[in-house]
Amino acid sequence: MGEGRVSPNWVVLSLMLACLAAWLILDAVSVAPNRIVPGSAYAALEIMSGWPALLLTAPMLAVVVLAWRPDQQRLKLALATTVLLLALLPLWLSAATAVLVEPSMPQARVGIGPSLWLLLFLLLLVLIELRTRLALSRSMGWCLLLPMIVSWWLSLALWLEPLALQREYQARSAQFTSALTMHLVLVGAAVAASLVLAALLALAMRRHAGIRRAGFGVLNFLQTIPSLALFGLLLAPLAWLGTHVDWLAAIGVSGIGWAPAFLALLGYSLLPMVRNIHVALEEVDPAVIESARGMGMSRRQVFLQVRLPLALPIVIEGIRITTVQAIGLTAVAALIGAGGLGTFIFQGLGQAAMDMVLLGALPIIVMALFADALFGSLSERLRQGGTA
Amino acid sequence: MIELFDVTKRFGSEVAVDGISLRVETGELCALVGTSGCGKSTTLSMINRLIEHDGGEIHLDGQPVRSFDEVALRRRIGYVIQSTGLFPHWTVARNIGLVPRLLKWPKGRVRERVEELMQLLGLPVAEFADKYPRQLSGGQAQRVGVARALAADPDILLMDEPFGALDPITRETLQHELRELQARLHKTIVFVTHDMDEALALADRLVVMHQGRIVQQGKPIALLHDPVNPFVESLLGGMDRGLKEAALIQVGERMLPLGPRLLASERIAYGASLSQALSVMLWHQVDRLTVVDEEDIPIGELSLRRLLGAKAS
Ligand SMILES: Nc1ncnc2c1ncn2[C@@H]1O[C@H](COP(=O)(O)OP(=O)(O)O)[C@@H](O)[C@H]1O
Ligand SMILES: [Mg+2]
Repeated sequence: MGEGRVSPNWVVLSLMLACLAAWLILDAVSVAPNRIVPGSAYAALEIMSGWPALLLTAPMLAVVVLAWRPDQQRLKLALATTVLLLALLPLWLSAATAVLVEPSMPQARVGIGPSLWLLLFLLLLVLIELRTRLALSRSMGWCLLLPMIVSWWLSLALWLEPLALQREYQARSAQFTSALTMHLVLVGAAVAASLVLAALLALAMRRHAGIRRAGFGVLNFLQTIPSLALFGLLLAPLAWLGTHVDWLAAIGVSGIGWAPAFLALLGYSLLPMVRNIHVALEEVDPAVIESARGMGMSRRQVFLQVRLPLALPIVIEGIRITTVQAIGLTAVAALIGAGGLGTFIFQGLGQAAMDMVLLGALPIIVMALFADALFGSLSERLRQGGTA
Repeated sequence: MIELFDVTKRFGSEVAVDGISLRVETGELCALVGTSGCGKSTTLSMINRLIEHDGGEIHLDGQPVRSFDEVALRRRIGYVIQSTGLFPHWTVARNIGLVPRLLKWPKGRVRERVEELMQLLGLPVAEFADKYPRQLSGGQAQRVGVARALAADPDILLMDEPFGALDPITRETLQHELRELQARLHKTIVFVTHDMDEALALADRLVVMHQGRIVQQGKPIALLHDPVNPFVESLLGGMDRGLKEAALIQVGERMLPLGPRLLASERIAYGASLSQALSVMLWHQVDRLTVVDEEDIPIGELSLRRLLGAKAS
């Protein structure tokens, strides 16, 4: 195009240079003969010099060059290259595994080193930056992750059996499934219950100033209690209930387990939920409400057709915050025997088995990111049709 | 016909409206003017019962407003506010069709009515029907606001500073359109404004309010000539009152038929105001103008003497 020179995209440029540095300097993979013995770590070039190393270095350099004078065309090329890089990572890891693990080591465990973790993280940041620059839609952004996901799935299924994470998973896959389910159920139940309760509370608060003051006072106070302390506080009364009320005992209420975890989660979820619902309903433009009434809408019609739909994006924003928070807190709830993915984290920490910690932590991170993106885009979509 | 008998409204200890009596005839446009906070909006909102009055009575066509169901009452009265109050999550067409839908008109009839109104207010259906309010300019949004108020063909229209947020050019265009609309539709309109030129240009009856009371009311020209006190006088423009009155009189009313003399070189339209004619004279330093019709054909002449004689006749 005939325009003057575009200035470099410093974000992509520096992220990619950091990728290159991480790739060339840091350890990419560690190998241990079994679960007990500490492994030895290798940098990428120590494992395979020659073309496999170039396989990743060349695309990184290409993106650096493209980001130097980034017109639309080059940005698209850079994006394609980044997607390719993300898909190549597991393939490279598979190759490295094949090189490092000999058939004489059936118990060998391959760990993912700092270089690969960093690369994964930095490349995702590059992807986000490029998506924003090119003004691609959110759904397009998800599609861009597809090659990477397919590539990981393929590699895990075919070549990455010695990967420590995979070995940990295979050793307790049934336990993993039930922990994942428990985690999702706890989060889902806490968020759903807090949504219903918060909606009722927020409506009551709009009616009576007294309830509003008292309600926010209590909820703000709840939020300041550390989660472990809250579990502790719930222990005694729930234990008492569990032993004295038969039907509660029958559904499994006791001082530890799912009951205190659920109650604590509910307590923490209530404040962000109530606050968002309340603010959302209050902040609808008074002129819009006045004209709705002036046109002859009944109170009910004003609420259902005007106030609620205009408040919805902010309510969903509240669901987003609450869900992400509950996903994290549920991990802590494992400490009081509530189950969930936190179990792996704390067991792993106890046994100093980092791969087991990862087995719990990675799905939690993915779940949180997914919930964040899902509700974020939902809220944004509703906002587009409506307010602003 | 709208009648207020000794109507009062208090907010706590503050008296916002203090014993107002007022009668707006059917088909009349009544402008409420006054400094901000003098109770204009409160008076307006008591008519459709968005605010309930504390004392006195308000009648529509002889019936007290309290005898109607408030929701049904409001559906019979058009309401336009300064910030439009359009629903941001609804399209233009849906916004306009609001009251007919509340009244459960059949779908087809609602659509027809919406299209009719969009045409009436100069909003091409194909271009605007599916737009959202945030995609409209201020003037377009207020046209939609007026269309929405007219949708169920109410006899009464309440307008609270409807053009107050618009730029001067758009405002004048909309004032002009409202005047033409009113000439055709003959609604009973109560129009709140703090822009005196707007009030003078539109009103059949001018009501000046001050601190919750009516200080003076009557025809605009009558108020210009005989303000009851210095407050009304200064509100109406003080020394500018002469020009403001001249702005209300058309050149056509003062011109003389073409005489034997040569045509004056500067021209003025038949429908222009005397103040515009005076401005043209000042600008070109002449004391005689040729008056032309819409086709720019000379039909008369206006001299400075005739122009000044406006008051005498
Ligand atoms: N809802 C309300 N609550 C308390 N005071 C009000 C309310 N509405 C109006 N007022 C007061 O009543 C007076 C008249 O207000 P308003 O009718 O809005 O004036 P205007 O429209 O002439 O500017 C003002 O002093 C205003 O503060
Ligand atoms: Mg007002």
